[in-house]
Amino acid sequence: MIEQVVAEVKNGRPERPGGRVMSLLVQPTPPPLWRGLVAAAALIGVETVVVLLLKHFAPTNAFGTVYLLGVLVVGAAWGFGLAAINALASAVAFDYCRSWPDSGLSHPQNWVVVGVFFIVALLSNSLAWLARASAIEAERRRHEADLAARQQTALRRVATLVARGVPPSEVFSAVVAELASCLEVQNAALFRYEPDGTALLLAAADEPGLQKMPVGERFSLDGDNVAAMVRRSGRAARMDSHDHAAGTAAARIRALGLCSAVGAPIVVDNRVWGVAVAGSSRPDAFPPGAEQRVSDFADLIGIAIANVQARAELTASRARIVAAADDTRRLIERDLHDGAQQRLVSLGLRLRLAEDSVAPEQMALREQISDVVTDLVAVSDELREMSRGIHPAILSKGGLGPALRALARRSATPVNLDVAVPHRLPDYVEVAGYYVVAEALTNVTKHAQASEVHLAVKTEGDHLYLSIRDDGVGGADAGKGSGLIGLVDRVEAVGGRIDITSHRGDGTSLEVLIPLERDLLAAGQSSELVPGQT
Amino acid sequence: MATGHNGVVESQVEPTRVVIVDDNPEFLDSARRLLEHQGVRVAGLASTNADGLRCVQELRPDVTLVDVNLGEESGFDLAEALQESDDGGPVPVILISTHAEPDLAEMIETSPAIGFLAKSALSAGAITAAISRLGHNHLK
Repeated sequence: MIEQVVAEVKNGRPERPGGRVMSLLVQPTPPPLWRGLVAAAALIGVETVVVLLLKHFAPTNAFGTVYLLGVLVVGAAWGFGLAAINALASAVAFDYCRSWPDSGLSHPQNWVVVGVFFIVALLSNSLAWLARASAIEAERRRHEADLAARQQTALRRVATLVARGVPPSEVFSAVVAELASCLEVQNAALFRYEPDGTALLLAAADEPGLQKMPVGERFSLDGDNVAAMVRRSGRAARMDSHDHAAGTAAARIRALGLCSAVGAPIVVDNRVWGVAVAGSSRPDAFPPGAEQRVSDFADLIGIAIANVQARAELTASRARIVAAADDTRRLIERDLHDGAQQRLVSLGLRLRLAEDSVAPEQMALREQISDVVTDLVAVSDELREMSRGIHPAILSKGGLGPALRALARRSATPVNLDVAVPHRLPDYVEVAGYYVVAEALTNVTKHAQASEVHLAVKTEGDHLYLSIRDDGVGGADAGKGSGLIGLVDRVEAVGGRIDITSHRGDGTSLEVLIPLERDLLAAGQSSELVPGQT
Repeated sequence: MATGHNGVVESQVEPTRVVIVDDNPEFLDSARRLLEHQGVRVAGLASTNADGLRCVQELRPDVTLVDVNLGEESGFDLAEALQESDDGGPVPVILISTHAEPDLAEMIETSPAIGFLAKSALSAGAITAAISRLGHNHLK
């Protein structure tokens, strides 16, 4: 209890007035007996001096209460036994003062006085003892309520992080810090169970001065340790000491200066995903309810991980849907090109052969055939434009650079082009980049009334960066069917980001980042959540 | 476009010899018949890069018509390969496609091909025009 109070003081928490004295008086285990004896003797000495001084002003009989004070103090701190001795000694001293300079105890009436004092002192002491017990209880309850409130606050902080969808690493760090603080222990750690039977340390909070736990290290789960117990049972577990525990993990825990530990499972999708562990260098650090408190935090981590996994799955499934649609469009374009388009072209050539074969005198027939050839070429061109809308063949053949330049050439609004991209990029990057520019240029022509578009495309680190700025009327809104919402979906589906700035009268600017590797989709989101990856 | 059904033939002593590389048999057939009719000698037909390369090296035509799309292969690659085969000097390549020229403009410019013809505009006249442009450029 006193350590907790001291801890509170260290933590800079405000102390109740009188709390210090109270805590001294209500310690559950009394200070050493010799200190009690010394204290009792000193108190009696001081009291005797006070009574002898007071004797000059009033009859000594009135001052028995002065001695009572010492009995109560000693009784409160050292218990009934010492209080009784103190009461007896005080009674004798009181009697001595009262009859001084005569020898008091020779008169039987003095014995009565001593006896009455002794009994009253003991009764008072018993009452004081009761008061002390309820004070201890009140103090304990207050501390528990305080801890519960702190834990609720800590849980709320973590829950807010989880709800905000911050990266799991941030949630992990916050949880270990809060866990150690709430349980008032020196260490807290999060482990993920690995397929190889080890536990990977994901995050740790260590009190300054304690050896730092090595994040990223794999702990073997053989022998006796909390992580192994939790994995086996799927339930919270505790070890009040690792002194005689077997196994390398236990040895490692001892080497880190830790003694006791409580762990609770982190459950994700009904599977024990990992374990949250609070550790202390003291053997008796964890009160009976500690398992539940660690579990409260572990549950939040489980939710955070499930959230992130759900989000990652959603992202991946969006990307798959878009990729499947792109593949289909590519196939349709190729089928059109290789099928209908080629047949129309061949038909045209055969008709031209027929046209050439018509005798010169049959001018009318010749002209008719020529008209059909012209129409056929027009149909073929129309089909070609449709095909390009479905999927630009140039993109598959020449890559993003030539495809964007072709787009710029066809744009109704003049395009100022600044493209510096590698010859080839991953398919999905090229398609997304092309789509963004095509859609943006269409939007500009349709809505912006711009005189020029500036298009800049480059690779920036592990992203493709696209910037499309026009000098038009601005005021575009992704929510109003402007085509912008399609762009947002398209970019986000491949894990990219799009910023749209469109103030009325100040043109529209799109800035887009598309990750160059699919893995980046998951980076910082799920890689640390998948067992076997770090 | 051909100038007339006789014009091209009469203007040349030796007919122009071409090899056509395209993966569409129907197109190969139509193109051959039209060009032959217009007085061009279609020396060989091929449908893959490898066949095309072999065909050209064996037959040494005046010009090779190469489709930009050759199934999974690219006609641009064949144009490069033909340029690099120094077996008797490079044979000029004219790229053909159903795609629009502006779409492919950049790739055509960077390829060693001497020109581009939309498949629908294929004719003896267009081929000779491309070759004579090449000759004209060489004289410069």
